[in-house]
Amino acid sequence: MTTSRTARRILAATSLAALTTGALPAPLARAADGVTQERLLNADKEEGNWIHHHKNFAGHRYATLTQINKDNVKNLKVAWTLHLGGIEGGGIWSHGGLEGTPIVENGMMYVTDGWGSVYKIDTRGGEGKLIWKMDPKTDREWAGAVACCGVNNRGVALWGDLVVSHTLDGRLIATNKETGQVAWQRQIADPDKGETITGAPLIVKGLAISGVGGAEYGIRGWIAATDLKTEKEVWRTHTIPGKGEPGYETWKGPNNAAVSGGGSTWVTGTYDPDTDTIVWGVGNPGPDWDNAYRPGDNLYTDSTLALDATTGKIKWHFQHTPNDPYDYDSVSENLLVDVGGRKLAIEADRNGFGYAVDRTTGQFVWATPFVKKVTWTKGINPDTGKPFEYDPTKDVQRYNPAATPSAENKNADFCPGNMGGKNWPPTAYNPDLQYWYIPVIESCNRVTHETMTTASLKPREFFTGGGPTNPFRITGSVTAIDVKTGKVAGKHETQFPLLGGMLATPDLVFTGEPSGGVMALDAKSLDKLWEFRTGGGVNAPPMTFTVDGKQYLAILVGLGGAWDKWFIDSTPELKNIQTGSMLYVFAL
Amino acid sequence: MRKMLLPALAAGLALAASAAWAQGARGGGEGDLAGFKKACAGCHKWHGGGGGGYGGEALSLRKTQLDKEQVAEVVRCGRPGTGMPYHLRGAYDTVKCYDSLKADMGTSMPPETAVFLRPTEIDAVANYVVTSLKGKGEPTLEECTAFFGATSRACDIYRKKEGPDGATASH
Repeated sequence: MTTSRTARRILAATSLAALTTGALPAPLARAADGVTQERLLNADKEEGNWIHHHKNFAGHRYATLTQINKDNVKNLKVAWTLHLGGIEGGGIWSHGGLEGTPIVENGMMYVTDGWGSVYKIDTRGGEGKLIWKMDPKTDREWAGAVACCGVNNRGVALWGDLVVSHTLDGRLIATNKETGQVAWQRQIADPDKGETITGAPLIVKGLAISGVGGAEYGIRGWIAATDLKTEKEVWRTHTIPGKGEPGYETWKGPNNAAVSGGGSTWVTGTYDPDTDTIVWGVGNPGPDWDNAYRPGDNLYTDSTLALDATTGKIKWHFQHTPNDPYDYDSVSENLLVDVGGRKLAIEADRNGFGYAVDRTTGQFVWATPFVKKVTWTKGINPDTGKPFEYDPTKDVQRYNPAATPSAENKNADFCPGNMGGKNWPPTAYNPDLQYWYIPVIESCNRVTHETMTTASLKPREFFTGGGPTNPFRITGSVTAIDVKTGKVAGKHETQFPLLGGMLATPDLVFTGEPSGGVMALDAKSLDKLWEFRTGGGVNAPPMTFTVDGKQYLAILVGLGGAWDKWFIDSTPELKNIQTGSMLYVFAL
Repeated sequence: MRKMLLPALAAGLALAASAAWAQGARGGGEGDLAGFKKACAGCHKWHGGGGGGYGGEALSLRKTQLDKEQVAEVVRCGRPGTGMPYHLRGAYDTVKCYDSLKADMGTSMPPETAVFLRPTEIDAVANYVVTSLKGKGEPTLEECTAFFGATSRACDIYRKKEGPDGATASH
């Protein structure tokens, strides 16, 4: 580790030197900016850049920069801010929010707002200057009426001279990096079917990989790859098997439930170049809370899927909550880590457990609860990786029946609540400490069950089998898991659920709270070392970069998403958080 | 759970259980859509048909048997013991609801809305519910465009359903 970090520093110093000359003729600079597979594979060597959604293909969100460290982080101050747009309402939403991770390449930052506008910002010279804004003119009513969980967009990806992004109304858009003009676009998801897109694309070997949202609207989920050169779709793999495909037998009963089985894929996955494998999380089955409608294990919902990156073919799967009656998505990013001689994929599931599986086979390795309270199961069987109560001979699982919504238990309280555990906000991993930092929602909530029939299934209508209320207070934590042992190494409790996500550096971890605080914790002890109150609600992950040889911390601030519409009763103080849309950048 | 006597609500629910409601007077109500959009559509859906969703398990306003004053009371005071919030600032505090204050409600206390409505807005919402939703069957293209406007594709599925001869099939 030490050797490779030194090597990285040398390389970074070289690229920094090239940058700071400032005298490169423009065409040469542009050529140097072209993003290639080689650069994406070696993203960690570009120490001051952040060119992947999750920082590297392995999803670590770990920056090796050390100018800001535990000794001086207390001196971190606002360097500059930039107001963004996208707060307009649409559909069932009164306003948009910010959930994106900024991408930075050679001092140029690319961020999105909830409606998918892309902003290019020049961060040189200690300030932020807007270079261009690409407004995709999203059909707000069309998309906003079938977006279960807010007007959201989590950011862009880079390829060649293109900035690649999604819109809530289902488009993949390629924008010229220099001019901000749309080079081309294609419709890949269909809001007429309840499909929307909120995730950032993952780019692998010139293919833009897109996931879809909509498991609350009776969609049949998929992951799709678009060739950025030919602008055509190369593969689309459904997360719910079709007739005759393996796994189709896990959808039983008279309702033909597979056609509306959910399995959305709305969080950006990761990529293992050694095996040319994309690892991507799959969401909940539909209807969410009426699992008797869909007897069987309901593959590949609530699963981690490994796909051949070239063909989209499924290599292996691991399912966390078979026949899920709770809305326990497994959409979370899988971090690819090498620990103790094993190649692992680790995922913090909405069901409250962190899982490690062997990423070459999908074989279960360990699971450990990262929330304080779990009531739906006694635990995960260390031999099988399944909940102890899981009975493979039963078509409808009841787990802990008192905590499970069903026709016989119309109002069920369960922990973690249906938002998790851990929702989309990304984890981070420190490869030196081998600590994995999870932004936790410490929660319980109540679900009222509704029995579904095939007549309940209508296009663009919620198909959930009931709905949640929130009579219990919900808090949060940063929970660290030592990946060497698979055990919780520390927990920093927070007044509010962590809705933003994590960033790790060698001796720090950064996150934000929906009440407005951005904070730095000690990477080992999780003691709070710094905090700044932004005055808005943090609903996005922090990132760090360098420009002009100086390290900065950046985070989008603007509370939107599902929380302030559907779950606010559990955090009543957050009703005071006003709508906003702003980029904060900090420096020493 | 503690049982409470809630006279007006009980009366409303009794009505809800009665025979099918005759189609009431139509017209008006369109100007009242704003309050409904702001406070109700998330859970009761744009068409008021209710059902499950992230907003909870909401009742159908199209099938409601409540009259305008009863709807207004439920909007003001919420439905105790359910996820239906109260929307009047000061309800159960400076203003009694179902003859009760917060201290009397215990675990039946309904949640507080994220957006309070003024009394005139509550009246407008109740008017919209009884004139534009109550007693209606399946949602139509006309209702959809009244809610979302005609410039979006939000109502295209109703255009497809009603065919090319639908009332406002062209853009």
